[in-house]
Amino acid sequence: MEVFELLLLLSLVVCAVSVAVIRDLLASIIVFMSYSLIMCIIWILLQSPDLAITEAAVGAGVTSVLFFVTLKKIHAIRKEDRDE
Amino acid sequence: MEWVRYFLAGILLLLGLFLEILAVFGVNKFRKALNRIHAAAIGDTLGILFVFLGCMVLRGFSMDSLKLFLVIAFFWLASPVSGHMISRLEAMTNENLGEIAVVHLDNEGKQEEKDHGSV
Amino acid sequence: MSKRKSPQELGGYLKFKRWLAGDLDLLEDVTEDAGPAVAPESADRLPARDSALESRRRASEEVYGPEVWPQSHTPGYAQAWRDRIALQKGTGDAQAVLQAQEKSLRFFRAVYKIMAVLLCGAIILVFLWTTVHLPPFGSPDNPANNEVPARYIRHGVEETGATNFVTGMILDYRAFDTFGESCVLFIASCCVQVLLRVDACDGKSAARTRIQQENDRLFEPKNDGILQQTARLLVPLILIFGVYIILNGHLSPGGGFSGGAVLGSGLILYLNAFGFAKTERFFNERIYRRITLCALTFYCLAKSYSFFTGANHLESGIPLGTPGAILSSGLILPLNICVGLVVMGTMYSFYTLFRKGGM
Repeated sequence: MEVFELLLLLSLVVCAVSVAVIRDLLASIIVFMSYSLIMCIIWILLQSPDLAITEAAVGAGVTSVLFFVTLKKIHAIRKEDRDE
Repeated sequence: MEWVRYFLAGILLLLGLFLEILAVFGVNKFRKALNRIHAAAIGDTLGILFVFLGCMVLRGFSMDSLKLFLVIAFFWLASPVSGHMISRLEAMTNENLGEIAVVHLDNEGKQEEKDHGSV
Repeated sequence: MSKRKSPQELGGYLKFKRWLAGDLDLLEDVTEDAGPAVAPESADRLPARDSALESRRRASEEVYGPEVWPQSHTPGYAQAWRDRIALQKGTGDAQAVLQAQEKSLRFFRAVYKIMAVLLCGAIILVFLWTTVHLPPFGSPDNPANNEVPARYIRHGVEETGATNFVTGMILDYRAFDTFGESCVLFIASCCVQVLLRVDACDGKSAARTRIQQENDRLFEPKNDGILQQTARLLVPLILIFGVYIILNGHLSPGGGFSGGAVLGSGLILYLNAFGFAKTERFFNERIYRRITLCALTFYCLAKSYSFFTGANHLESGIPLGTPGAILSSGLILPLNICVGLVVMGTMYSFYTLFRKGGM
Protein backbone atom coordinates (compact mmCIF):
# COMPACT_ATOMS: atom_id res chain seq x y z
CA MET A 1 0.00 0.00 0.00
CA GLU A 2 2.87 2.30 0.81
CA VAL A 3 4.33 1.76 -2.65
CA PHE A 4 0.94 2.53 -4.19
CA GLU A 5 0.66 5.80 -2.26
CA LEU A 6 4.19 6.71 -3.23
CA LEU A 7 3.41 6.04 -6.90
CA LEU A 8 0.26 8.16 -6.66
CA LEU A 9 2.08 11.08 -5.05
CA LEU A 10 4.89 10.83 -7.58
CA SER A 11 2.50 10.90 -10.52
CA LEU A 12 0.69 13.80 -8.84
CA VAL A 13 3.92 15.80 -8.86
CA VAL A 14 4.66 14.77 -12.44
CA CYS A 15 1.17 15.83 -13.54
CA ALA A 16 1.38 19.15 -11.70
CA VAL A 17 4.73 20.01 -13.29
CA SER A 18 3.71 18.91 -16.76
CA VAL A 19 0.51 20.98 -16.64
CA ALA A 20 2.72 24.03 -16.28
CA VAL A 21 5.34 22.89 -18.79
CA ILE A 22 3.23 21.55 -21.68
CA ARG A 23 2.73 24.17 -24.38
CA ASP A 24 -0.29 22.56 -26.00
CA LEU A 25 -3.33 23.86 -24.12
CA LEU A 26 -5.56 20.89 -24.92
CA ALA A 27 -2.96 18.39 -23.71
CA SER A 28 -2.33 20.35 -20.54
CA ILE A 29 -6.06 20.34 -19.75
CA ILE A 30 -6.19 16.58 -20.19
CA VAL A 31 -3.18 16.21 -17.90
CA PHE A 32 -4.96 18.44 -15.40
CA MET A 33 -7.94 16.09 -15.60
CA SER A 34 -5.75 13.12 -14.73
CA TYR A 35 -4.29 15.17 -11.88
CA SER A 36 -7.81 15.54 -10.50
CA LEU A 37 -8.42 11.80 -10.83
CA ILE A 38 -5.23 10.95 -8.94
CA MET A 39 -6.20 13.50 -6.31
CA CYS A 40 -9.58 11.76 -6.04
CA ILE A 41 -7.94 8.40 -5.32
CA ILE A 42 -5.69 10.06 -2.75
CA TRP A 43 -8.73 11.53 -0.99
CA ILE A 44 -10.24 8.07 -0.80
CA LEU A 45 -7.01 6.70 0.67
CA LEU A 46 -7.11 9.53 3.22
CA GLN A 47 -10.61 8.31 4.15
CA SER A 48 -12.63 11.32 3.04
CA PRO A 49 -14.99 9.95 0.38
CA ASP A 50 -17.17 13.07 0.28
CA LEU A 51 -14.21 15.12 -0.88
CA ALA A 52 -13.43 12.38 -3.39
CA ILE A 53 -16.93 12.59 -4.89
CA THR A 54 -16.67 16.37 -5.16
CA GLU A 55 -13.20 16.19 -6.65
CA ALA A 56 -14.31 13.66 -9.25
CA ALA A 57 -17.41 15.62 -10.23
CA VAL A 58 -15.97 19.13 -10.12
CA GLY A 59 -12.25 18.73 -10.74
CA ALA A 60 -12.26 16.04 -13.36
CA GLY A 61 -15.70 16.62 -14.86
CA VAL A 62 -17.03 20.13 -14.94
CA THR A 63 -13.81 22.13 -14.72
CA SER A 64 -12.35 20.36 -17.73
CA VAL A 65 -15.58 20.75 -19.67
CA LEU A 66 -15.52 24.49 -18.95
CA PHE A 67 -11.88 24.64 -20.05
CA PHE A 68 -12.73 22.80 -23.27
CA VAL A 69 -15.59 25.18 -24.02
CA THR A 70 -13.28 28.12 -23.36
CA LEU A 71 -10.65 26.73 -25.70
CA LYS A 72 -13.30 26.30 -28.35
CA LYS A 73 -14.50 29.88 -27.82
CA ILE A 74 -11.06 31.39 -28.24
CA HIS A 75 -10.31 29.02 -31.17
CA ALA A 76 -7.27 27.57 -29.47
CA ILE A 77 -7.94 24.04 -30.72
CA ARG A 78 -6.18 24.28 -34.04
CA LYS A 79 -6.91 22.31 -37.13
CA GLU A 80 -3.47 20.81 -37.61
CA ASP A 81 -3.61 19.26 -34.16
CA ARG A 82 -6.40 17.03 -35.34
CA ASP A 83 -4.94 15.00 -38.15
CA GLU A 84 -1.21 14.97 -37.69
CA MET B 1 -13.39 -24.20 -2.96
CA GLU B 2 -11.71 -21.05 -1.79
CA TRP B 3 -8.64 -21.42 -3.95
CA VAL B 4 -10.81 -22.07 -7.04
CA ARG B 5 -12.43 -18.71 -6.46
CA TYR B 6 -9.08 -16.98 -6.01
CA PHE B 7 -7.75 -18.64 -9.14
CA LEU B 8 -10.77 -17.55 -11.18
CA ALA B 9 -10.61 -14.00 -9.83
CA GLY B 10 -6.91 -13.80 -10.59
CA ILE B 11 -7.42 -14.94 -14.15
CA LEU B 12 -10.21 -12.43 -14.68
CA LEU B 13 -8.22 -9.57 -13.14
CA LEU B 14 -5.15 -10.38 -15.20
CA LEU B 15 -7.21 -10.56 -18.37
CA GLY B 16 -8.79 -7.19 -17.57
CA LEU B 17 -5.44 -5.58 -16.82
CA PHE B 18 -4.00 -7.02 -20.02
CA LEU B 19 -6.86 -5.47 -21.99
CA GLU B 20 -6.33 -2.13 -20.23
CA ILE B 21 -2.63 -2.17 -21.09
CA LEU B 22 -3.56 -3.06 -24.66
CA ALA B 23 -5.90 -0.05 -24.74
CA VAL B 24 -3.17 2.26 -23.44
CA PHE B 25 -0.71 1.01 -26.04
CA GLY B 26 -3.31 1.32 -28.75
CA VAL B 27 -4.22 4.88 -27.86
CA ASN B 28 -0.58 5.88 -27.97
CA LYS B 29 0.36 3.80 -31.00
CA PHE B 30 -2.42 4.52 -33.48
CA ARG B 31 -2.34 7.77 -35.43
CA LYS B 32 -5.91 8.14 -36.65
CA ALA B 33 -8.69 9.27 -34.34
CA LEU B 34 -11.07 6.44 -35.17
CA ASN B 35 -8.44 3.78 -34.46
CA ARG B 36 -7.67 5.44 -31.17
CA ILE B 37 -11.36 5.45 -30.25
CA HIS B 38 -11.48 1.74 -31.00
CA ALA B 39 -8.51 1.04 -28.73
CA ALA B 40 -9.84 3.23 -25.92
CA ALA B 41 -13.28 1.64 -26.13
CA ILE B 42 -11.77 -1.82 -25.65
CA GLY B 43 -10.23 -0.66 -22.39
CA ASP B 44 -13.38 1.09 -21.28
CA THR B 45 -15.74 -1.81 -21.88
CA LEU B 46 -13.99 -5.18 -21.92
CA GLY B 47 -11.14 -4.26 -19.59
CA ILE B 48 -13.48 -2.74 -17.00
CA LEU B 49 -15.83 -5.71 -17.34
CA PHE B 50 -13.13 -8.30 -16.63
CA VAL B 51 -11.51 -6.32 -13.80
CA PHE B 52 -14.82 -5.79 -12.03
CA LEU B 53 -15.93 -9.36 -12.69
CA GLY B 54 -12.76 -10.46 -10.95
CA CYS B 55 -13.56 -8.19 -8.01
CA MET B 56 -17.11 -9.58 -7.89
CA VAL B 57 -15.87 -13.18 -7.89
CA LEU B 58 -13.43 -12.28 -5.13
CA ARG B 59 -16.20 -10.73 -3.07
CA GLY B 60 -18.94 -13.28 -3.60
CA PHE B 61 -22.63 -12.48 -3.34
CA SER B 62 -22.94 -9.21 -1.42
CA MET B 63 -23.97 -5.58 -1.66
CA ASP B 64 -20.52 -4.65 -2.95
CA SER B 65 -20.89 -7.03 -5.89
CA LEU B 66 -24.22 -5.42 -6.76
CA LYS B 67 -22.61 -1.99 -6.73
CA LEU B 68 -19.79 -3.23 -8.94
CA PHE B 69 -22.37 -4.66 -11.31
CA LEU B 70 -24.06 -1.24 -11.43
CA VAL B 71 -20.71 0.36 -12.24
CA ILE B 72 -20.24 -2.13 -15.09
CA ALA B 73 -23.73 -1.37 -16.38
CA PHE B 74 -23.04 2.38 -16.26
CA PHE B 75 -19.79 1.97 -18.15
CA TRP B 76 -21.37 -0.24 -20.79
CA LEU B 77 -24.05 2.38 -21.28
CA ALA B 78 -21.92 5.49 -21.21
CA SER B 79 -18.65 4.52 -22.85
CA PRO B 80 -19.98 3.29 -26.23
CA VAL B 81 -22.15 6.38 -26.49
CA SER B 82 -19.21 8.70 -25.90
CA GLY B 83 -17.22 6.73 -28.45
CA HIS B 84 -20.09 7.06 -30.88
CA MET B 85 -20.25 10.83 -30.36
CA ILE B 86 -16.53 11.33 -30.88
CA SER B 87 -16.44 9.14 -33.98
CA ARG B 88 -19.48 10.91 -35.38
CA LEU B 89 -17.74 14.26 -34.91
CA GLU B 90 -14.64 12.86 -36.56
CA ALA B 91 -16.64 11.52 -39.50
CA MET B 92 -18.28 14.91 -39.97
CA THR B 93 -15.21 17.10 -39.71
CA ASN B 94 -12.37 15.08 -41.20
CA GLU B 95 -12.20 15.43 -44.96
CA ASN B 96 -9.66 12.65 -45.44
CA LEU B 97 -11.97 9.84 -44.46
CA GLY B 98 -13.70 9.55 -47.81
CA GLU B 99 -17.37 8.87 -48.26
CA ILE B 100 -19.01 8.28 -44.92
CA ALA B 101 -22.69 9.03 -44.68
CA VAL B 102 -23.74 10.91 -41.54
CA VAL B 103 -27.47 11.08 -41.04
CA HIS B 104 -29.06 14.00 -39.22
CA LEU B 105 -32.43 13.53 -37.60
CA ASP B 106 -34.92 16.32 -37.03
CA ASN B 107 -36.97 16.67 -33.88
CA GLU B 108 -39.44 13.96 -34.79
CA GLY B 109 -36.69 11.48 -35.49
CA LYS B 110 -37.09 11.56 -39.27
CA GLN B 111 -34.16 11.71 -41.58
CA GLU B 112 -33.47 15.32 -42.42
CA GLU B 113 -30.30 15.50 -44.45
CA LYS B 114 -27.36 13.39 -45.33
CA ASP B 115 -23.81 14.60 -45.11
CA HIS B 116 -21.13 12.81 -47.01
CA GLY B 117 -18.06 13.01 -44.87
CA SER B 118 -16.56 16.21 -46.11
CA VAL B 119 -18.01 19.51 -44.97
CA MET C 1 21.99 30.49 -25.45
CA SER C 2 19.96 33.44 -26.57
CA LYS C 3 22.02 33.79 -29.74
CA ARG C 4 20.49 30.71 -31.30
CA LYS C 5 16.98 32.10 -31.18
CA SER C 6 15.48 33.63 -34.24
CA PRO C 7 14.62 37.31 -34.14
CA GLN C 8 10.90 36.44 -34.20
CA GLU C 9 11.16 34.90 -30.77
CA LEU C 10 13.01 37.80 -29.26
CA GLY C 11 10.16 40.26 -29.31
CA GLY C 12 8.72 39.47 -25.86
CA TYR C 13 9.52 42.81 -24.30
CA LEU C 14 8.41 44.72 -27.36
CA LYS C 15 5.21 42.72 -27.40
CA PHE C 16 4.72 43.49 -23.74
CA LYS C 17 5.22 47.19 -24.34
CA ARG C 18 2.82 47.17 -27.26
CA TRP C 19 0.34 45.20 -25.20
CA LEU C 20 0.61 47.77 -22.40
CA ALA C 21 -0.04 50.51 -24.92
CA GLY C 22 -3.10 48.59 -26.07
CA ASP C 23 -1.90 48.04 -29.60
CA LEU C 24 -1.34 44.31 -29.54
CA ASP C 25 -3.68 41.42 -29.22
CA LEU C 26 -1.62 38.86 -27.37
CA LEU C 27 -3.69 35.95 -28.59
CA GLU C 28 -3.32 36.98 -32.19
CA ASP C 29 -0.67 34.44 -33.10
CA VAL C 30 -1.96 31.76 -30.79
CA THR C 31 -5.61 31.62 -31.58
CA GLU C 32 -5.87 32.09 -35.30
CA ASP C 33 -4.11 30.19 -38.02
CA ALA C 34 -2.70 33.32 -39.55
CA GLY C 35 0.61 32.08 -40.79
CA PRO C 36 3.92 32.83 -39.08
CA ALA C 37 4.25 35.82 -36.83
CA VAL C 38 6.25 38.55 -38.50
CA ALA C 39 8.59 40.63 -36.43
CA PRO C 40 8.40 44.32 -37.29
CA GLU C 41 12.05 44.58 -38.36
CA SER C 42 11.90 42.15 -41.27
CA ALA C 43 10.71 44.52 -43.91
CA ASP C 44 10.67 42.00 -46.73
CA ARG C 45 7.98 39.93 -45.08
CA LEU C 46 5.57 42.79 -44.55
CA PRO C 47 3.65 42.39 -47.84
CA ALA C 48 2.97 38.73 -47.10
CA ARG C 49 1.64 39.63 -43.69
CA ASP C 50 -0.47 42.40 -45.14
CA SER C 51 -2.10 40.15 -47.71
CA ALA C 52 -2.78 37.47 -45.11
CA LEU C 53 -4.30 40.10 -42.85
CA GLU C 54 -6.40 41.44 -45.66
CA SER C 55 -7.90 38.02 -46.43
CA ARG C 56 -8.59 37.43 -42.77
CA ARG C 57 -10.22 40.85 -42.45
CA ARG C 58 -12.48 40.10 -45.39
CA ALA C 59 -13.45 36.75 -43.89
CA SER C 60 -14.24 38.42 -40.59
CA GLU C 61 -16.27 41.13 -42.29
CA GLU C 62 -18.47 38.53 -43.95
CA VAL C 63 -19.31 36.98 -40.61
CA TYR C 64 -19.28 39.75 -38.05
CA GLY C 65 -19.56 42.99 -39.95
CA PRO C 66 -16.88 45.61 -40.50
CA GLU C 67 -16.65 47.15 -37.05
CA VAL C 68 -15.40 44.10 -35.20
CA TRP C 69 -12.03 43.87 -36.87
CA PRO C 70 -9.39 45.53 -34.65
CA GLN C 71 -7.55 48.55 -35.93
CA SER C 72 -4.17 46.99 -35.29
CA HIS C 73 -4.82 44.25 -37.83
CA THR C 74 -5.27 46.43 -40.87
CA PRO C 75 -2.62 46.21 -43.58
CA GLY C 76 0.34 48.52 -43.27
CA TYR C 77 -0.08 48.75 -39.55
CA ALA C 78 3.40 47.44 -38.81
CA GLN C 79 4.87 49.99 -41.19
CA ALA C 80 2.90 52.77 -39.53
CA TRP C 81 4.06 51.59 -36.16
CA ARG C 82 7.68 51.70 -37.22
CA ASP C 83 7.18 55.19 -38.58
CA ARG C 84 5.68 56.25 -35.30
CA ILE C 85 8.67 54.94 -33.38
CA ALA C 86 10.99 56.74 -35.69
CA LEU C 87 9.04 59.96 -35.18
CA GLN C 88 9.11 59.57 -31.44
CA LYS C 89 12.84 58.92 -31.32
CA GLY C 90 13.53 61.83 -33.64
CA THR C 91 15.60 59.74 -36.01
CA GLY C 92 14.78 58.82 -39.52
CA ASP C 93 16.02 55.27 -39.31
CA ALA C 94 13.54 53.01 -37.59
CA GLN C 95 15.79 50.04 -38.20
CA ALA C 96 18.56 51.42 -36.02
CA VAL C 97 16.14 52.28 -33.25
CA LEU C 98 14.75 48.79 -33.31
CA GLN C 99 18.20 47.24 -33.22
CA ALA C 100 19.14 49.35 -30.20
CA GLN C 101 15.97 48.25 -28.52
CA GLU C 102 16.85 44.69 -29.41
CA LYS C 103 20.16 44.99 -27.60
CA SER C 104 18.62 46.32 -24.42
CA LEU C 105 15.96 43.69 -24.79
CA ARG C 106 18.50 40.89 -24.76
CA PHE C 107 19.92 42.21 -21.51
CA PHE C 108 16.43 42.50 -20.08
CA ARG C 109 15.60 38.93 -20.98
CA ALA C 110 18.75 37.58 -19.39
CA VAL C 111 18.08 39.48 -16.18
CA TYR C 112 14.44 38.41 -16.30
CA LYS C 113 15.30 34.72 -16.57
CA ILE C 114 17.85 34.87 -13.76
CA MET C 115 15.44 36.75 -11.52
CA ALA C 116 12.64 34.29 -12.24
CA VAL C 117 14.81 31.31 -11.33
CA LEU C 118 16.05 33.05 -8.18
CA LEU C 119 12.51 33.95 -7.11
CA CYS C 120 11.25 30.39 -7.69
CA GLY C 121 14.19 28.95 -5.78
CA ALA C 122 13.60 31.34 -2.89
CA ILE C 123 9.92 30.43 -2.67
CA ILE C 124 10.71 26.70 -2.79
CA LEU C 125 13.34 27.15 -0.07
CA VAL C 126 10.89 28.98 2.18
CA PHE C 127 8.28 26.25 1.68
CA LEU C 128 10.75 23.46 2.32
CA TRP C 129 12.02 25.21 5.43
CA THR C 130 8.46 25.57 6.70
CA THR C 131 7.71 21.93 5.92
CA VAL C 132 10.73 20.76 7.87
CA HIS C 133 9.54 22.65 10.93
CA LEU C 134 5.99 21.31 10.78
CA PRO C 135 4.96 18.97 13.61
CA PRO C 136 4.90 15.28 12.65
CA PHE C 137 1.79 13.99 10.94
CA GLY C 138 -0.73 12.39 13.28
CA SER C 139 1.22 13.01 16.45
CA PRO C 140 -0.94 13.45 19.58
CA ASP C 141 1.07 16.47 20.68
CA ASN C 142 0.13 18.54 17.65
CA PRO C 143 -1.31 21.99 18.31
CA ALA C 144 -4.34 21.09 16.18
CA ASN C 145 -5.13 18.25 18.55
CA ASN C 146 -6.60 20.44 21.30
CA GLU C 147 -9.93 20.44 23.10
CA VAL C 148 -12.01 21.42 20.03
CA PRO C 149 -11.84 18.12 18.09
CA ALA C 150 -12.04 16.24 21.38
CA ARG C 151 -15.34 17.92 22.12
CA TYR C 152 -16.56 17.34 18.56
CA ILE C 153 -15.77 13.66 18.78
CA ARG C 154 -17.22 13.22 22.26
CA HIS C 155 -20.41 15.27 21.97
CA GLY C 156 -20.84 15.62 18.22
CA VAL C 157 -23.51 13.01 17.63
CA GLU C 158 -25.66 13.96 20.59
CA GLU C 159 -25.43 17.69 19.88
CA THR C 160 -25.99 17.67 16.13
CA GLY C 161 -27.80 14.37 15.63
CA ALA C 162 -25.85 13.62 12.45
CA THR C 163 -24.09 10.30 12.18
CA ASN C 164 -21.93 11.57 9.33
CA PHE C 165 -19.70 13.66 11.43
CA VAL C 166 -18.22 15.85 8.71
CA THR C 167 -21.64 17.17 7.74
CA GLY C 168 -22.49 17.72 11.38
CA MET C 169 -19.41 19.88 11.67
CA ILE C 170 -19.69 21.93 8.50
CA LEU C 171 -23.43 22.49 8.69
CA ASP C 172 -23.88 22.90 12.43
CA TYR C 173 -20.82 24.00 14.34
CA ARG C 174 -19.37 25.85 11.40
CA ALA C 175 -22.48 26.59 9.39
CA PHE C 176 -21.38 30.16 8.92
CA ASP C 177 -18.36 29.05 6.89
CA THR C 178 -20.58 26.99 4.64
CA PHE C 179 -22.90 29.94 4.20
CA GLY C 180 -19.89 31.97 3.07
CA GLU C 181 -18.94 29.25 0.62
CA SER C 182 -22.42 29.19 -0.88
CA CYS C 183 -22.29 32.96 -1.23
CA VAL C 184 -18.90 32.69 -2.90
CA LEU C 185 -20.42 30.26 -5.42
CA PHE C 186 -23.27 32.66 -6.06
CA ILE C 187 -20.90 35.62 -6.46
CA ALA C 188 -18.73 33.59 -8.84
CA SER C 189 -21.72 32.79 -11.00
CA CYS C 190 -22.68 36.50 -10.96
CA CYS C 191 -19.18 37.44 -12.09
CA VAL C 192 -19.29 34.93 -14.91
CA GLN C 193 -22.63 36.41 -15.94
CA VAL C 194 -21.12 39.91 -15.95
CA LEU C 195 -18.19 38.72 -18.04
CA LEU C 196 -19.85 36.37 -20.48
CA ARG C 197 -23.44 37.43 -20.79
CA VAL C 198 -24.40 38.47 -24.29
CA ASP C 199 -26.80 41.38 -24.37
CA ALA C 200 -29.73 40.56 -26.57
CA CYS C 201 -31.25 44.07 -26.72
CA ASP C 202 -28.95 45.46 -29.38
CA GLY C 203 -29.88 44.25 -32.83
CA LYS C 204 -26.33 43.92 -34.04
CA SER C 205 -25.16 41.95 -31.03
CA ALA C 206 -28.22 39.75 -31.32
CA ALA C 207 -27.19 38.87 -34.85
CA ARG C 208 -23.68 38.19 -33.62
CA THR C 209 -25.08 35.93 -30.92
CA ARG C 210 -27.02 33.98 -33.49
CA ILE C 211 -23.91 33.55 -35.63
CA GLN C 212 -21.88 32.45 -32.65
CA GLN C 213 -24.54 29.96 -31.70
CA GLU C 214 -24.56 28.56 -35.17
CA ASN C 215 -20.79 28.31 -35.14
CA ASP C 216 -20.93 26.59 -31.83
CA ARG C 217 -23.52 24.08 -32.88
CA LEU C 218 -22.31 23.60 -36.41
CA PHE C 219 -20.31 20.42 -35.99
CA GLU C 220 -22.21 19.11 -33.03
CA PRO C 221 -24.57 16.25 -33.60
CA LYS C 222 -28.07 17.59 -33.39
CA ASN C 223 -30.75 15.24 -32.16
CA ASP C 224 -28.50 12.26 -32.01
CA GLY C 225 -30.77 9.29 -31.44
CA ILE C 226 -28.33 7.08 -29.59
CA LEU C 227 -27.31 9.85 -27.21
CA GLN C 228 -30.94 10.78 -26.59
CA GLN C 229 -31.99 7.24 -25.75
CA THR C 230 -29.04 6.82 -23.41
CA ALA C 231 -29.75 10.17 -21.81
CA ARG C 232 -33.38 9.15 -21.29
CA LEU C 233 -32.11 6.15 -19.41
CA LEU C 234 -29.20 7.72 -17.54
CA VAL C 235 -30.32 11.24 -16.60
CA PRO C 236 -33.06 10.15 -14.17
CA LEU C 237 -30.63 7.74 -12.51
CA ILE C 238 -27.99 10.44 -12.18
CA LEU C 239 -30.50 12.92 -10.78
CA ILE C 240 -31.80 10.33 -8.29
CA PHE C 241 -28.26 9.60 -7.22
CA GLY C 242 -27.61 13.32 -6.67
CA VAL C 243 -30.80 13.69 -4.64
CA TYR C 244 -29.80 10.63 -2.62
CA ILE C 245 -26.39 12.11 -1.86
CA ILE C 246 -27.97 15.39 -0.74
CA LEU C 247 -30.74 13.85 1.39
CA ASN C 248 -28.40 11.30 2.97
CA GLY C 249 -25.78 13.94 3.72
CA HIS C 250 -26.15 13.68 7.48
CA LEU C 251 -26.06 9.87 7.45
CA SER C 252 -23.39 8.88 4.95
CA PRO C 253 -20.48 10.58 3.18
CA GLY C 254 -21.65 13.25 0.80
CA GLY C 255 -23.77 16.29 1.32
CA GLY C 256 -24.77 19.46 -0.42
CA PHE C 257 -21.65 20.17 -2.41
CA SER C 258 -21.06 16.75 -3.91
CA GLY C 259 -24.76 16.08 -4.47
CA GLY C 260 -25.20 19.44 -6.14
CA ALA C 261 -22.24 18.72 -8.40
CA VAL C 262 -23.79 15.40 -9.45
CA LEU C 263 -27.16 17.07 -10.09
CA GLY C 264 -25.49 19.77 -12.18
CA SER C 265 -23.66 17.14 -14.23
CA GLY C 266 -26.93 15.34 -14.91
CA LEU C 267 -28.51 18.58 -16.09
CA ILE C 268 -25.54 19.26 -18.36
CA LEU C 269 -25.89 15.80 -19.89
CA TYR C 270 -29.59 16.43 -20.51
CA LEU C 271 -28.75 19.77 -22.09
CA ASN C 272 -26.20 18.20 -24.40
CA ALA C 273 -28.57 15.49 -25.48
CA PHE C 274 -31.74 17.49 -26.03
CA GLY C 275 -30.61 21.05 -26.67
CA PHE C 276 -31.37 24.37 -25.07
CA ALA C 277 -34.98 24.60 -26.14
CA LYS C 278 -36.13 21.53 -24.25
CA THR C 279 -34.08 22.29 -21.16
CA GLU C 280 -35.43 25.80 -20.87
CA ARG C 281 -38.92 24.43 -20.48
CA PHE C 282 -38.13 23.38 -16.93
CA PHE C 283 -34.96 25.20 -15.99
CA ASN C 284 -34.52 28.74 -17.25
CA GLU C 285 -32.95 31.83 -15.83
CA ARG C 286 -35.99 32.88 -13.79
CA ILE C 287 -36.23 29.55 -12.05
CA TYR C 288 -32.50 29.56 -11.43
CA ARG C 289 -32.73 33.02 -9.87
CA ARG C 290 -35.65 32.01 -7.65
CA ILE C 291 -34.02 28.80 -6.51
CA THR C 292 -30.75 30.47 -5.63
CA LEU C 293 -32.45 33.38 -3.90
CA CYS C 294 -34.74 31.17 -1.84
CA ALA C 295 -31.95 28.82 -0.81
CA LEU C 296 -29.57 31.57 0.20
CA THR C 297 -32.27 33.53 2.03
CA PHE C 298 -33.40 30.49 3.97
CA TYR C 299 -29.84 29.69 4.92
CA CYS C 300 -29.17 33.29 5.92
CA LEU C 301 -32.31 33.49 8.07
CA ALA C 302 -31.60 30.22 9.83
CA LYS C 303 -28.03 31.23 10.53
CA SER C 304 -28.84 34.75 11.70
CA TYR C 305 -31.45 33.26 14.03
CA SER C 306 -28.69 31.29 15.67
CA PHE C 307 -26.67 34.49 15.91
CA PHE C 308 -29.43 36.15 17.87
CA THR C 309 -29.72 33.19 20.20
CA GLY C 310 -26.12 33.25 21.31
CA ALA C 311 -24.27 32.01 18.22
CA ASN C 312 -22.98 28.92 19.94
CA HIS C 313 -23.91 26.63 17.13
CA LEU C 314 -26.92 26.28 14.88
CA GLU C 315 -29.67 26.08 17.48
CA SER C 316 -33.15 25.34 16.32
CA GLY C 317 -36.42 24.43 17.90
CA ILE C 318 -36.58 21.30 15.80
CA PRO C 319 -36.01 18.14 17.84
CA LEU C 320 -32.89 16.28 16.80
CA GLY C 321 -34.57 12.90 16.46
CA THR C 322 -32.75 9.63 16.65
CA PRO C 323 -29.32 9.66 15.02
CA GLY C 324 -29.35 7.51 11.93
CA ALA C 325 -32.93 8.21 10.86
CA ILE C 326 -33.51 10.19 7.67
CA LEU C 327 -35.59 12.83 9.48
CA SER C 328 -33.11 13.71 12.17
CA SER C 329 -30.44 16.20 13.13
CA GLY C 330 -32.61 19.30 13.01
CA LEU C 331 -31.67 21.94 10.49
CA ILE C 332 -28.88 20.03 8.78
CA LEU C 333 -31.14 18.35 6.24
CA PRO C 334 -32.80 21.56 4.91
CA LEU C 335 -29.45 23.34 4.89
CA ASN C 336 -27.97 20.48 2.88
CA ILE C 337 -30.80 20.86 0.39
CA CYS C 338 -30.13 24.61 0.15
CA VAL C 339 -26.42 24.14 -0.49
CA GLY C 340 -27.13 21.42 -3.05
CA LEU C 341 -29.56 23.64 -4.96
CA VAL C 342 -27.10 26.54 -5.03
CA VAL C 343 -24.26 24.32 -6.25
CA MET C 344 -26.46 22.72 -8.91
CA GLY C 345 -27.61 26.10 -10.21
CA THR C 346 -24.09 27.45 -10.25
CA MET C 347 -22.69 24.55 -12.25
CA TYR C 348 -25.51 24.58 -14.76
CA SER C 349 -25.37 28.36 -15.18
CA PHE C 350 -21.60 28.25 -15.68
CA TYR C 351 -22.00 25.74 -18.45
CA THR C 352 -24.78 27.60 -20.25
CA LEU C 353 -22.98 30.92 -19.90
CA PHE C 354 -19.84 29.46 -21.39
CA ARG C 355 -21.78 27.78 -24.15
CA LYS C 356 -24.05 30.54 -25.38
CA GLY C 357 -23.69 33.53 -23.10
CA GLY C 358 -27.02 33.34 -21.31
CA MET C 359 -29.31 30.90 -19.68
